[in-house]
Amino acid sequence: MDRRDILPERPVERGRGYMPGVSVNPSRILFTAGLTGRHPDGSLVAGGMAPQTHRAFERLQAVLARAGAKFEDAIKQLTYVTDLDAYNADGRSERAKFFGSSRSASTGLVVRRLADPAMLIEVELVVDLQGSPQGKPLLEKYNAEDHGGDFYQGVIVNGGRLIYLAGQVANNPDGSVAGVGDLRRQAEKVYENIGHVLRAAGATPGSAVKETTWVLSIDAWRQQGTPVRRAFYNGDYPASTLVEIPGLARPEFLVEIELIAAVA
Amino acid sequence: MPFSTITTPEARPVANYKMATRQEGGQLLYISGQVARDTNGNVVGTGDMRTQARAVFQNLRQVLQAAGGDLKDLMKITTYITNIEHFPALAEVRSEVFQGELPASTLIVVKSLFHPDFLIEVEGIAAI
Repeated sequence: MDRRDILPERPVERGRGYMPGVSVNPSRILFTAGLTGRHPDGSLVAGGMAPQTHRAFERLQAVLARAGAKFEDAIKQLTYVTDLDAYNADGRSERAKFFGSSRSASTGLVVRRLADPAMLIEVELVVDLQGSPQGKPLLEKYNAEDHGGDFYQGVIVNGGRLIYLAGQVANNPDGSVAGVGDLRRQAEKVYENIGHVLRAAGATPGSAVKETTWVLSIDAWRQQGTPVRRAFYNGDYPASTLVEIPGLARPEFLVEIELIAAVA
Repeated sequence: MPFSTITTPEARPVANYKMATRQEGGQLLYISGQVARDTNGNVVGTGDMRTQARAVFQNLRQVLQAAGGDLKDLMKITTYITNIEHFPALAEVRSEVFQGELPASTLIVVKSLFHPDFLIEVEGIAAI
């Protein structure tokens, strides 16, 4: 509510379909998971970028609808693609069909790989919701479809205080790196650090709203990181995005996890 | 300040940034990923991280100021670069731009940004 578009006419963004900044008085905020061109059974839609983009936005639309929201209520979008030329040729126009003329703050990245090697696009949103948080639970975590994954497609924060964690890496308090060359140990250390920071902020693993996991290898993460993550959340997952990228701040780092959480 | 800084001796940042921030009030501002374009939309500093980083933080600051704030109001930034070898030049510019501690921060090396000439993109979240 009380949405303000910041610098709507700055020439840098004019005509590019997004807003330099969007501010709201945070009353009820929805964070979506990164959604992709999957069918509910997990298989990818056929046909490449255009159908995948269409499907990703169709799924986002369902997540928004469950929260009573529309694309025009989005305040931030993050688009990950693995093939920029394909996105420019076939993805943008599909996106425009859903967003119309509404503009949110936006970031676009070309990454090395998404959850499935054939996946070309993943999109996540932050959305300002109507209505009062009065009488509602702090967090509402939900799925718009039965996807069977270890995440929620949408998490609504009703009137809480948002906590933004720096990207967490496998460092010890003395600055040394734990688990050099050992992804499982790094995963344990990262979640240990996240646990400490959440506790210091008055939060718990279940307070997590949105998680972005950046790894150098998704295949290795599934083997060695996923069990650690499951044990940390114990079923009370946030909305999540998993992305493979070519590098992090130090060559020893194999994983970095960003978290947004909320407390009353 | 409409946000507070979270610290714990058990988990410390690896550089000069805040480990976490918690919004306590004010407006929540989401800032688009800022890139090295001038006011006319042209790419500046092709191949030059220092010039691009300065332009990016200038653009970020412009958005913050238009929202009634400034760099001090940033709770979180995420910096995407295309080549880790540019990191020292970026770190130098960042310490020119930010007085004292950085906001909660993430640095990611991506395959590329949305224009082949961009070396850096920075997005931010602020409480104003």
